[in-house]
Amino acid sequence: MKKKIGVYVCHCGGNISDYVDVEKVRAEIEKDESVFLSKTTMFACADSNQKDMVTDIAEKQLDGAVVASCSPTLHLLTFSAVAERAGLNKYNYIHANIREQASWAHSDDKVGATEKAIQIVKAAVAKVKRSNALEPFRVAATNAVAVVGAGIAGLRSAIQLAESGAQVYLIEREFFVGGRVAQWDDLFVSKETGKELITRLYDKAMNHKNITLFTGAEIIENSGSVGNISLKVKIAPRHMKLDCNEGNLGKAIEVCPVVVPDKFNFNITTRKAIYHNFPGEYPQLPVIDIENCTRCGECEKVCENVDFSQKDEFLNIKVGSVLLATGFDPYEPKNDEFGYKTIDNVVTLPQFKRLVHYCDDKLVYKGKEVKNVAYIYCVGSRQVDGDNKYCSRYCCTATIHAAITAKKKYKDLYNFHFNRGIRTYGKQEVLYDESSRLGDIYLQSFEDHPPVVSKEGDKTIVTINDILTADKTLEVEADLVVLVTGMVPRQDNSIGSLLKIPRGRDNFFNEIHMKLRPVETVIDGVTIAGASQGPKNIMESMNSSLAAATKSFSLIASGELSLSPTIAKIDVDNCGWCGKCDDACPFSALTKTDVNGKLVAAVNESVCKGCGMCMPVCPSNAIELIGYTDNQIESMIDALVSTD
Amino acid sequence: MARINPKFTTELQSYGAFDTNACYNCGNCTAVCSLSDEDNSFPRKMVRYSVLGLENEIQTSLEPWLCYYCGDCSATCPREAEPGELMMSLRRYLTSKYDWTGLSGMLYKSLSTSVIAFVLLAVGVIWFASSLNFEPELLLHYGHYFEMSAIGSVFLLILLPNLIRMWNMVIRKPKVNVSFSAYLKSYSELIVHMFTQKRTLGCDDSQTRWFQHLILVIGYLSLLFTTVFLDWFATDSSFILVLGYLESAVIFSVTFIFMIGRLSKKTQVSKNSHPSDWFFVIWLFLMGLSAFVVRLFIDLDILETNIWMYLIHLTVLVQWAIIIVPFGKWTHFLYRSFAMYFEKLKSLSIS
Ligand SMILES: Cc1cc2nc3c(=O)[nH]c(=O)nc-3n(C[C@H](O)[C@H](O)[C@H](O)COP(=O)(O)OP(=O)(O)OC[C@H]3O[C@@H](n4cnc5c(N)ncnc54)[C@H](O)[C@@H]3O)c2cc1C
Ligand code: SF4
Ligand code: SF4
Ligand code: SF4
Ligand code: SF4
Repeated sequence: MKKKIGVYVCHCGGNISDYVDVEKVRAEIEKDESVFLSKTTMFACADSNQKDMVTDIAEKQLDGAVVASCSPTLHLLTFSAVAERAGLNKYNYIHANIREQASWAHSDDKVGATEKAIQIVKAAVAKVKRSNALEPFRVAATNAVAVVGAGIAGLRSAIQLAESGAQVYLIEREFFVGGRVAQWDDLFVSKETGKELITRLYDKAMNHKNITLFTGAEIIENSGSVGNISLKVKIAPRHMKLDCNEGNLGKAIEVCPVVVPDKFNFNITTRKAIYHNFPGEYPQLPVIDIENCTRCGECEKVCENVDFSQKDEFLNIKVGSVLLATGFDPYEPKNDEFGYKTIDNVVTLPQFKRLVHYCDDKLVYKGKEVKNVAYIYCVGSRQVDGDNKYCSRYCCTATIHAAITAKKKYKDLYNFHFNRGIRTYGKQEVLYDESSRLGDIYLQSFEDHPPVVSKEGDKTIVTINDILTADKTLEVEADLVVLVTGMVPRQDNSIGSLLKIPRGRDNFFNEIHMKLRPVETVIDGVTIAGASQGPKNIMESMNSSLAAATKSFSLIASGELSLSPTIAKIDVDNCGWCGKCDDACPFSALTKTDVNGKLVAAVNESVCKGCGMCMPVCPSNAIELIGYTDNQIESMIDALVSTD
Repeated sequence: MARINPKFTTELQSYGAFDTNACYNCGNCTAVCSLSDEDNSFPRKMVRYSVLGLENEIQTSLEPWLCYYCGDCSATCPREAEPGELMMSLRRYLTSKYDWTGLSGMLYKSLSTSVIAFVLLAVGVIWFASSLNFEPELLLHYGHYFEMSAIGSVFLLILLPNLIRMWNMVIRKPKVNVSFSAYLKSYSELIVHMFTQKRTLGCDDSQTRWFQHLILVIGYLSLLFTTVFLDWFATDSSFILVLGYLESAVIFSVTFIFMIGRLSKKTQVSKNSHPSDWFFVIWLFLMGLSAFVVRLFIDLDILETNIWMYLIHLTVLVQWAIIIVPFGKWTHFLYRSFAMYFEKLKSLSIS
């Protein structure tokens, strides 16, 4: 119990003293013999008073301090810092709020307000008498980061982390790196193609000694906490030996009898069960798609590098932080949404991009030459009825860019943009300008009146009530309808569920604070980057990649993490492991352990947030919250209700 | 339901339109236009129709004729889509659609066709003169005869059928229901606008332009009257003599000012000159000047020895009467006035 407590009662200009008799409060508190010093002050937070407090605490060797003033959200940190400057541990400072809770709340009853203020300060004094100096927990942090997903965001983060000095495990589920960007050739605004960007990053990453890339790899287990996270990675085999002989490989692909739709080209082309993504892909090593392979053995006969004996490998790695860059999926339109899958010349934007890539001097789809292309915007985004209320951001620009590319590549091609307001924000606006000057036609509708795609004989007609032409009904005969599909979260959220990453209303991974903490998640040590967090173009993906890499690195940079000491503590003698606390903990901070042959609960110090959810459910009262012990809280309640 | 035709803008460009496609429908042009109102909102609507290639909508529109090309819209357009010039091009386009002979369109679209037509007529005049052995008396006689018959036949064979076609496009085809009395009641609208072009006054800051136009119209019509009906070249009345001098002087001085304006491109209107605009002013200027000089030669008694002067005048006159009046910019004057008339009919229509 402390004997030398200092109490400061603030006037707050008059905000407090107009209703609360601060002098009386001070006099009442002074009666407590543990209170060594008590003062009133016009503005407790003023520089001069802060200096006086530092002098008082240091010179008079005070062992606890209380300021009775405004809300702790405003000035708790101010006065904790004052205590620390005076050499007093900040957990020996207690804040009493007599403005919001007394003077402002009871401005109609000065006597009552004063009485209430006295009780509040007494409660604070009661707590400070029983408070202890606390030090933050320090845990060792592994200087390694797992980057999940080797799309453009993952690659860029990995390079940044490696250059900062961290070990990086780059874990890619597919057999080739680059994610979506590898699938685009021409990109908007920059002159480089997607493949060129990926090549650049891949070369840089592979030349860095700190980066280890796993392809065909997935995290399947996770334990530990920030600083020390253990991951189990499953690595699927390519069924090919390294150092392939290109000639024989070509033959192997030729003889493979299995033909399946090529996902890389969004199913507008086919590939064999043994395949490359595209010439010059990374890593430059083909794969056998074992799910579709019939094990006929034809390839083995012509290529000595085929190896069916390869098995899944499992690898345990230890990292200090995990950076998620798992990207997005393009929205898959519903059956018959704008004629998708029911009208033969309706494709999605990703398919259109691949089509333009493959058609040289004529744009041909299903054997017919395409002259009129109708683009229908916001498919799967800004939905009126569906869940995807958000704008996918990239698609207006990507569509206009694709339209310009097609217009320049093929003679006499006409583009018709059925949009809901064009959002080529920022520097991308130049594309909108270019496209309209090239003669592209823009038609606009409101969300409740979308365009209609229909079949008239063998013709496909797109109709719209164009709000730019006084709602006139206009139609275009389209040879190809392109649905401008938005971005949706990856259909497979296994990694999100495994790491317990919360998702936002849009179902993408959610950050802690949209503005102030945009790349951290509530799971300590896990950061998010790129389109896994929400629709982003490459530039925006890069911004978040670099931010997430920096944030992940800052956790492990010093080799040590300092964590808040106000967490749960188990009384081993009383605990009998009923598991109720484990059920109540939202962060899975509690585990069963064996202490001298007895099963008890143990708190993982780096996971516990000190929320206190576990305390009330414990039937044997075996849990204390450091900094808010039963003893402290009960003494405060006693002080609040005491009448003397 | 209307089908979009993106190829139309290319056709419009041959009538002088610029970067119409650059328009992003902000509507600034309509907001700034002092002649646009709730019933007839333009030029954005016309820009939109043009971009979409809605020819039917354009052909039934009167808006292009309601614009007097002050150029405010073009000056305000943030995309430099030149909506004012588009309105001008639409007037040329409509003129060629109204014209049953199709010559209008050919002359507008191709400068070389126009030049060939001018040259052919000049050759024709000289050939005709040579067949008369360049006999001054005969030439003046046939010249006067030509003037009279040209007025009648151009009106009856070209302008009247074209006006009927215009009426058909804007009133009959879109099924505007006009009562017979409305036709009579609105007649004054036609006459007033034809002679005063008073709508130009609605444009901000164009009092001078309106005044110049007014003087030109009055000068032109009265010179026409003076030469054709008062037989200026053969008159004995000193009143008519002086009147003719005055009128022709007015014509060539005002057109001279216009030409300088077009050359210096100071105002929006004169920024983009189509060949047809040049033909119009130059020939009007030449008409005034050559008529003036011919009469002067007569008064100085030197025409007989300098019959080439009269030949020049006759050539200009024939080209004017056979090309510019029926197929060129002169018709705008007519269609504009009728547009005001039809517009009035539309507003009185029983819907
Ligand atoms: C049609 C279209 C055109 C576009 N054009 C442009 C353009 O011109 N310019 C531009 O700036 N942007 C463009 N974009 C946007 C661009 O594609 C994205 O910004 C970019 O792909 C985001 O990169 P990412 O790395 O976050 O995600 P992705 O590219 O999706 O990469 C994610 C990677 O993570 C891997 N992965 C997923 N889950 C796991 C897992 N559980 N374990 C391991 N790995 C996993 C994936 O296999 C993939 O390799 C376009 C988008 C579309 C749809
Ligand atoms: S970027 Fe454009 S197309 Fe994409 S959702 Fe937003 S508004 Fe729609
Ligand atoms: S205090 Fe909260 S976070 Fe910590 S163990 Fe208890 S319930 Fe879990
Ligand atoms: S030129 Fe003048 S009158 Fe014609 S549309 Fe433009 S602003 Fe209106
Ligand atoms: S001001 Fe220009 S861009 Fe705006 S609507 Fe008129 S023509 Fe189009």
